[in-house]
Amino acid sequence: MDILKLNIDDIREKLDSNEVSSQDLFDASLDMAHKYQDEYNAFVTIMDKKEESDGKSILRGIPYALKDNFSTKGILTTASSNILKDYVPVFDSTVYTKLKESGAVLMGKTVLDELAMGGTGTTGHTGVVRNPWNKDRLIGGSSAGSACAVALGIVPFAIGSDTGDSIRKPAAFGGVVGFKPTYGRISRYGLFAFASSLDHVGCFTRCVRDAAYVTDVLKGQDEKDMTSLEDDGKVYASLIDNDVKGRKLFYIKEACDIENYKDSNDDELLETLKKFHENLDKIRSLGIVVEGVSFDKELLNAIYPAYMTISCAEATSNNANLTGILFGPRAEGSSINDIMFNARTQGFSELIKRRFILGSYILQKENQEKLFLNAGRVRRLIVNKMNDLFKEYDGLIMPSSGGIAPLFGTKSDQLSDRYLILENHLAIGNFGGFPSISLPSGFVNDMPISINITGRVMEDDVVLNMANKIESVMGYKNIVAKVGEKDV
Amino acid sequence: MISKEKLEDYASKLMFRMEDSEYETLQEEFEVILKQMDLIGKIPNISDVEPMTFPFVTYKAKLREDVINNTLTTEEALANAKQVDRNQVRVPKVVE
Repeated sequence: MDILKLNIDDIREKLDSNEVSSQDLFDASLDMAHKYQDEYNAFVTIMDKKEESDGKSILRGIPYALKDNFSTKGILTTASSNILKDYVPVFDSTVYTKLKESGAVLMGKTVLDELAMGGTGTTGHTGVVRNPWNKDRLIGGSSAGSACAVALGIVPFAIGSDTGDSIRKPAAFGGVVGFKPTYGRISRYGLFAFASSLDHVGCFTRCVRDAAYVTDVLKGQDEKDMTSLEDDGKVYASLIDNDVKGRKLFYIKEACDIENYKDSNDDELLETLKKFHENLDKIRSLGIVVEGVSFDKELLNAIYPAYMTISCAEATSNNANLTGILFGPRAEGSSINDIMFNARTQGFSELIKRRFILGSYILQKENQEKLFLNAGRVRRLIVNKMNDLFKEYDGLIMPSSGGIAPLFGTKSDQLSDRYLILENHLAIGNFGGFPSISLPSGFVNDMPISINITGRVMEDDVVLNMANKIESVMGYKNIVAKVGEKDV
Repeated sequence: MISKEKLEDYASKLMFRMEDSEYETLQEEFEVILKQMDLIGKIPNISDVEPMTFPFVTYKAKLREDVINNTLTTEEALANAKQVDRNQVRVPKVVE
């Protein structure tokens, strides 16, 4: 029986009825992780010993994977960068602490794009992560290994971080659910900062209900993270079956209407949009009103550059502590400056250096007004526009991407509408801290596609409720890439 | 096009070096990025807007009580440093 490929409720039942033990699940999860590691490279570290916990939550005894940018005391934590390749934290992130207390069982730490800066899953220091649905395709990033582990059926859930779309995009490409709640809903203490004003913690699962279970365990105020939110006192899993009749969603016409692409020969895009509109009809059958609205094209085109500007600028300062002096590989040098220069030269990959230089360029005095401050202004205009629309609508519904996971080495036209809008609109959720979930919505060319729902801040329960109902009519709940391969 | 000298200056401020071929890639990337950045400038009256630095401001930040906690031991603080001498991180001589 493929128990690890079941959802959390079903695994719970099998544990409670003693059909399987937590140790059996842990061992099976490790076996699968090792079996697939050479092929897919989901993990930086695969645990060898099961941690014991007397947690009482629904997650007790269930194995999970954690992105390798969350501090875990005594367990290697690399952020998939050479500059942290031997770093062993001396404290736990709050997320890891909460999961330990819940009784969930850490089985591995997953590969990410180096320092979480990237969207391809190809830049980690231990190599590229491959897509379980097709090894010639990437799975996206930065939380690549977490998405991969859930899609392979190694674990029923995994933890990620999301600064621009780093949970929701790999979830979309991997055919799994990816949820990032409202900014601050889950503590960031012990998460290696990328861009502090955009960084969110969230999870990967194979159904919406499981995302609610995991978020219920993780959420809450943390005195170690002053940006964490006071708990809303809600149990999301108990609210996801509420009636959604009369709820209203909007999609952005400029990005989603097929007639806007009538001159395009991008079949994958056209098929993705056709399926998106077919799904909207299924969603309307739930009594949810779905309407297209216009969103200023100039604002839409500015999402990606504003995201790059803000995130690179924040990352440049956040990563200034990586010097090789207090932690990380110590480089040769006759002075402290030489040591730091050499450690950073050897420790960062080319992509990271390019991002940092962009951040430095943006922060130069002569560029701050035109770039850094203007990006912050765009951010406000987009968030204001969203909040205006949220007065009438309960959420935004969009394709998570304009197509399927790209083949390795594919280059996009980075000035095209598809790239600037459909491939990057998920950053809206980070600009405003809005709760946002991606879930599988079908297949194009035998690869999964996905829709995304983004709602008002603080209304994580409403977003999960709508997503759960929508999942039930779309018919792609609990899909796994490796069907029929036994784990237990 | 942004000059290689400028990019080298930024790299130097960030305390790392790059290969010549990496600068070429960076210059090409900058051309695209600067075109993308121009899209921001096309938004009418953008300069009238107050820049946003945080997702929202409607919550109350909670500050912990000002009591000492979470202090690392000396051993923990030095656990990841590669060169340690008499409970201190060893670095090359700073004052000649």
